[in-house]
Amino acid sequence: MKKQGRGMASIMFGFGYGEGFPDHSIAEVEITKDKRIKVRTAGADLGQGFLTTMTQIAAEVLKIDPSYIEIVGQDTHKAKNSGSTSATRQTFFSGNAVREAAEEVMGKIYHYGSLYFNSNHPELTVKDGELYACDECEKITYWELAEIVEQRGKELKAEATFFPKTYAPDRKTGQGEKIYVAYTFMTQVMDIEVDTDTGLIEVMNVYTALDVGRAINPQNVHGQIEGGTVQGLGMAMMEDQVIEEGITINADMTNYLVPSIQDIPNFESTLIENNDSGGPFGSKGVGEPTIIGASPALSNAVYDAIGVRIKSLPITPEKILNALEEKK
Amino acid sequence: MSKKYVGKDVLKVDAQDKVTGEAQYPSDLKFEDYLHVKIKRATYPHAILRDLDVSKAKQVEGVVDILTEKDYPDLNKFGLIIKDQPVLIKVGEKMRFMGDALAIIIAETEEAALKARDKIEVEVEKLEVMSNPQRALEKDAPTIHNDIGDLCTNYIDPDVGKQNILMDHHLEKGDVDKGFEEADFIVENEYQTQHIDQLPIQNEAGYALYDESNDVIKIWAASQWLHDTQADVAQAMNLPKEKVRIIQTAIGGAFGKKEDVSVHLHLALAARHTKRPVKLVYTREESMISQSKRHPLTIKAKTGVTNDGYLTAWEVKVIGDAGAYASSSPAVVHKGMYHCTGPYNVQNVRGDSYAVYTNNTYGGAMRGFGTTQMAFAYESQIDIIAHKLDMDPAQFRYQNAYDIGSTTPNGQKLGKSVNLKRTIESATDLAQWEGEISE
Amino acid sequence: MKISLTVNGEKRALDVKPETRLLDLIRDDLGLTGTKEGCGKGECGACTVIMNNKVVASCLVLAAQADGAEIKTIEGLGGKDKLHPLQQAFIEKGAVQCGFCIPGMIMSSKKLLDENINPSEEDIKRGLSGNICRCTGYVKIVDAVKEAAHKIKSGGEENV
Repeated sequence: MKKQGRGMASIMFGFGYGEGFPDHSIAEVEITKDKRIKVRTAGADLGQGFLTTMTQIAAEVLKIDPSYIEIVGQDTHKAKNSGSTSATRQTFFSGNAVREAAEEVMGKIYHYGSLYFNSNHPELTVKDGELYACDECEKITYWELAEIVEQRGKELKAEATFFPKTYAPDRKTGQGEKIYVAYTFMTQVMDIEVDTDTGLIEVMNVYTALDVGRAINPQNVHGQIEGGTVQGLGMAMMEDQVIEEGITINADMTNYLVPSIQDIPNFESTLIENNDSGGPFGSKGVGEPTIIGASPALSNAVYDAIGVRIKSLPITPEKILNALEEKK
Repeated sequence: MSKKYVGKDVLKVDAQDKVTGEAQYPSDLKFEDYLHVKIKRATYPHAILRDLDVSKAKQVEGVVDILTEKDYPDLNKFGLIIKDQPVLIKVGEKMRFMGDALAIIIAETEEAALKARDKIEVEVEKLEVMSNPQRALEKDAPTIHNDIGDLCTNYIDPDVGKQNILMDHHLEKGDVDKGFEEADFIVENEYQTQHIDQLPIQNEAGYALYDESNDVIKIWAASQWLHDTQADVAQAMNLPKEKVRIIQTAIGGAFGKKEDVSVHLHLALAARHTKRPVKLVYTREESMISQSKRHPLTIKAKTGVTNDGYLTAWEVKVIGDAGAYASSSPAVVHKGMYHCTGPYNVQNVRGDSYAVYTNNTYGGAMRGFGTTQMAFAYESQIDIIAHKLDMDPAQFRYQNAYDIGSTTPNGQKLGKSVNLKRTIESATDLAQWEGEISE
Repeated sequence: MKISLTVNGEKRALDVKPETRLLDLIRDDLGLTGTKEGCGKGECGACTVIMNNKVVASCLVLAAQADGAEIKTIEGLGGKDKLHPLQQAFIEKGAVQCGFCIPGMIMSSKKLLDENINPSEEDIKRGLSGNICRCTGYVKIVDAVKEAAHKIKSGGEENV
């Protein structure tokens, strides 16, 4: 018999390394004569869209189409430390470093632009990679300005470091003033169907509301919600590297199963955007939080469907059938 | 506050390379005249290496050389936080899990390297294999690491054996005993999570090349933190950081698995030794056995509740299976504990967490870093309590939910961007949840 | 042993060892590294190519078995100067994260759309069930295949 159930989970995730660890990101932004804006960062793009996010932030601050932005420095000998792409930290940490470096460059654009136009800063307009002092006046491009600045022996280039402070918790009590830079929150509701004859679970719908501060790239945030949740469903229902007496007995993809395209639910998601976090433009990190709700939401839905509570993961058909048997 | 590029679905800047097959992942790079590297790994999960004979293996046609600890006796151990993992196991010392490296085989072809690997002769003296952290915590359990400094506090439960505890952490907020006294009922359960492989579709892989002109080893391999991998490789080889250069490639997924050193160190040694380009690609099996896992956590959770649905006290005991080496364990297990109440107001919180060495593949970073496992426990507790109260689980969450001014289990006061209640409102709206929620 | 085959429309003659897999031939001998290896056991689909109009896991096919065959890989679908509608749709719909599964995913999708230009969601899921993606949760991949079908039908871009 098929039985429907609905479960819910709300989660929090303190991001960044925190705990007083000297967590920071360094970035550099440079406008070059060859019509490029180089953003130098050693941050790793694991697929989530780090390079794209940094591109958008630099483009926004420098008021220029993202196609001019080039991310460089994916090399220990070509860029300074950008910290790890982990701990849900890159949008917040490297994003702030890129934003600050781009703002420094913007300051230089105004400074040298005002010298060139012989005007004060407020009279200048900067738009789409150009600057001018009045609507009908002569315009110069960033690239022309870079050349002029170079003739003065200077550069349209700046480096910035984002280095927020956290504190180590007390070893006995774990108490501290600020352990993590900030928290991300999420709530998910999950609808499932349990086959009481086979113990198989089908996940029908996942409804998600994610507190993101601000989405730098909404499509990519939805990509994190979907990808994180499906990975979380793997943890909830099937994934288990079985190590017996130190020996892994399923070290391949034949016997270690992860979700396939046949296993996915329908998604409906909302981004809560209050622009109220300390990341660039009010954003905060979302990578890890998106996996966290799936296993409890699924487990709670199983209880709702068939009245049994499974307290160990993964919730396999075998565990479901055993629990149903015990309940009888 | 409208923005022109932020908040927009700007297309991924690297997607075009990826859909055309032009993106260069580590194993896609092209080098002339490169050598193949394979690793001979442990033959037993916990044993003293008594003899390692590579003489027959070296005679296989196409083998350039086979490196063991004897060739590089001065290497330092490596690791993300605590340096406890040997680059190569020394004869007379211990292998601690099946991923431990015994020898680096370098050959003209992959076939020759594999053939040679089968001809390496290993003699071991077997020790008790501890696969269960509960056994490792017993007072008579053998010690897995004898040479790690004592990283533990004085607050460990006196009934457990300390010898395999990598690190312990504790929480004490408010007055927990009083909190439980104020509760109308208490819910207590034990939860267990499993070993998970991050399973990025691209296995660990890379190339390295030694540049004699400036004495720099260049490594092309994925890393979630270039400068940290560089520092770890450099210290293990007693080199200044600038002599190790790591060049990022396209990364075929990571999810925490590519934080630890994998191919990097063995490639660096092989490249410098042969002065030719070298390539090492893990198989899926090798990746699963040798690189980090999501920690199985055993979580005992005890929650005090009032009949009108408020939380008075929360206590957890967490045991994390750290496996054979520290990796991220000194940070993962207690990060889970630090999230033990979930996003709910609880004034009185107590917790103990132990990261425990075993002979399993080591636990490391994976998406959520301990908090994913903990959420299974706290959200199960919350659901169980809501049903006991016969209260709408959404309402129960909502009336206990964090807001501006709430304090976390660490006593951190949340000053801004706490929109949990809005997520409950929105998710229940989307789901057309039955029942109203209110303060 | 000597074999000849057609890869992306080009005739190739090669000398291969009996144990060489089609995947090795494509990646190592021909240098077409768009085709990936994820598991070596035919479970993940990263090495998917089209061989004689069939989708195959090239890690499970011996090069010798491909003697005389016609092979299509991701490189034969479209380059940056002229993307195939599938490639375009995968970019537009945000279906690419780490990208390692994507060449195989696109080759399976190509075969699917060659046979059925009006696939239902179930058809798409069945057609891509052998391709594992660890990043995206597949939602945007389904969207991208639908979008590509639409693009091809509306004929805005020539079906390669």
